[in-house]
Amino acid sequence: MTDHATPPDGETPDDEPPDGGAPVPTDSVDAALASLDSDGVAGYNYAYLDEHTKRELRRSMLKAVAIPGHQVPYASRPMPLARGWGTGGIQASLSILGPDDIFKVIDQGADESVNAANIRRLAENTADVSTTTDTTEADLIQSRHRIPEEVLTDEQRLVLQVPITDALRMVDSSDAANRRRHAHKNYGKMWVHLYENVVEYGEIQIASRYPTMVADRYLMDPSPIPRWDVPKLDDADHLTVLAAGREARIYAVPPHTEVEPLAFEDRSFTVERFPGRACHACESTDTYLVEVSEGATESETDTFETRYTCNDSSFCEKRRTNPGIPKDHHLDREGVDWGPELSDVATDDAENATERGGNDE
Amino acid sequence: MRALGLDPVDDTRRTFDSLLAAVSRPGTVQSAPSPADHAVVSTLVDHEVTLATEDDTLEEALSGHGRIDAEPPETADIVHARGCTSWDVRECDRGSLVEPSGGATIVYRVDTVTGSTREDCVTATLTGPGVDGVATLSVSLPAAELSALAEAQSSYPRGVDAVFAGDGCVAALPRSVSVEVA
Repeated sequence: MTDHATPPDGETPDDEPPDGGAPVPTDSVDAALASLDSDGVAGYNYAYLDEHTKRELRRSMLKAVAIPGHQVPYASRPMPLARGWGTGGIQASLSILGPDDIFKVIDQGADESVNAANIRRLAENTADVSTTTDTTEADLIQSRHRIPEEVLTDEQRLVLQVPITDALRMVDSSDAANRRRHAHKNYGKMWVHLYENVVEYGEIQIASRYPTMVADRYLMDPSPIPRWDVPKLDDADHLTVLAAGREARIYAVPPHTEVEPLAFEDRSFTVERFPGRACHACESTDTYLVEVSEGATESETDTFETRYTCNDSSFCEKRRTNPGIPKDHHLDREGVDWGPELSDVATDDAENATERGGNDE
Repeated sequence: MRALGLDPVDDTRRTFDSLLAAVSRPGTVQSAPSPADHAVVSTLVDHEVTLATEDDTLEEALSGHGRIDAEPPETADIVHARGCTSWDVRECDRGSLVEPSGGATIVYRVDTVTGSTREDCVTATLTGPGVDGVATLSVSLPAAELSALAEAQSSYPRGVDAVFAGDGCVAALPRSVSVEVA
C-alpha cells in the first residue's frame, strides 16, 4: 500500500490543456461565458427543436391528454444535456413555449440549481421567452420532483420531469408484461406489493413515486414528487404533462381529473408530517420541509446544526417578506388552498424520516 | 405551410397551444389561426403518420413538402373530414388495448362550434376528465354523426379523438369524456 503516489507511465499529473485549444478564462463562470462570441444558438430553429421533432411531441402530448395516465411513446431526441437530466421535460416545454409565455423551472423546489438555471437559459436563448421565479406569474412551469406550494390556476401548465415512467416497474421489471397489465387494468401485483408493505412495516412504505390511479383507469407513476404533492393532482385546475426523455414516454393528467393514490380501506394514504417543525427562515408549518445540515458557525469547525427549511424556495422567500400569506393568496376564490390538512397530525410519528422502499433517483 | 397561408413555426405553435387547451378542457372553444382545419392538420401531419383527406388544397400543400402519406379513413392516423363524412367514423382505427394511442384523430371542419346551446347545432353534454362538472358543446353536424362518434369512443381506452375546427377556432372531444347527444 505504498506505491499509489507514482502515476503510471505516460500520464502527466497536471491538468494542462491539449495543444491548439483556445484558452478560456477559468477564474469564474461569468468570465468564461463572456469570452465566448455568441450563445452558440445561431442557426437553430425557434425553441431549439426542429419542427419535425415538435410535431412528434405534440401528437404524443395530445394523445396523452386524451388518455389520462396512459404512457404514450414518442421519439425522444438527444438534447444538449444528458438523458436523465430533464431531457423529456425540456422537449415537452420547448414544444409548448411561445414568445408570450413566461417560463419557470424548478429543481427539487429550487429555482437556482444549476440544472434549472441552464434549462431556463436554453429556453430564454432559443425560444425568446421571459422567465420568472414567481410561481403565480408563470404560464408554464417545468419541475423536477416537486409541485409548487402556491396553488396553480387553469391558465397554467406544469411539466414534470420523469425518470421512471411505469409505476409497475417496482413490482415487475418487464416492460412488456407491465404494458399488458395496463391494457387490462390488472394491478393485482401492485396491490400485493402494498399489502406486503403493510404486513412487514405496518403501513405502506413508499416515500416517493407513489402509485396513483388516474381517472379510475390507469395506474400512474406521478414522478418522484413526495407524497405531500400527490393530492394536488386530484381535481386540479391546471394541466400536468409528465415527460421522460430517457424512456421516451409522455403522459398527462388533465385538469379536473380524479387522481387517487392507492391505499386500503384500513390503511389510508398519508403524506409526510413534520410535527413540531417549522421552516427556520419563514416559520411555515404548512409547507413541505426538508432537513438541511449546515455549519453552525462561520469558523468552519465541524459542528453542524440540523434545521428544517421550505423546499419551495420561491414561496419561502415570499413568506419571509410577507409572513403567513396563504398558498392561494393570488386567487380571488375562497377554499382553493391546497396541500394537506394539518388537523390530523396526531396520526403521525416522528419516524417518517426512516422510510424505506422508495427508490428515488 | 406558407402555401396554406400559415407560418410553419409560429402558426403551428399557436394551433398546438389551442389544441392542447381544447383537448385538456373538452367543451371549451379556443381561438386558432384560420383556416383552423388546415392549421390543425399541418400542425400534426408529416410523413410519420398517415392522413386521409378530401381537401385538394391541403393535399397539394402537404405533398409539396413530402409530408403526406395517404391512407383510406378506416386505417389513417389522422382523418380530415369536411362536415359530413362519406365513411363511418365507427370504422376508424381505435388503436389496441396495449397501445390505445394508435387510435385515429378525426379533424372535422364545421361551420359552427360553440360552448353554448344553439338551435342550428347539435348539443352534446360532456362529463369526465378535463370537465369541471358538466360542459356542453354545440357543433353544426348531424346528430347521427355525433352519436356515431360517441360510439367510436365508447370502447375506452380504445377509441378515436375528435377535433372540431370552426371559423378561427377549435374544440375537441377526446375519448376520455363521456358524450351524451341531446
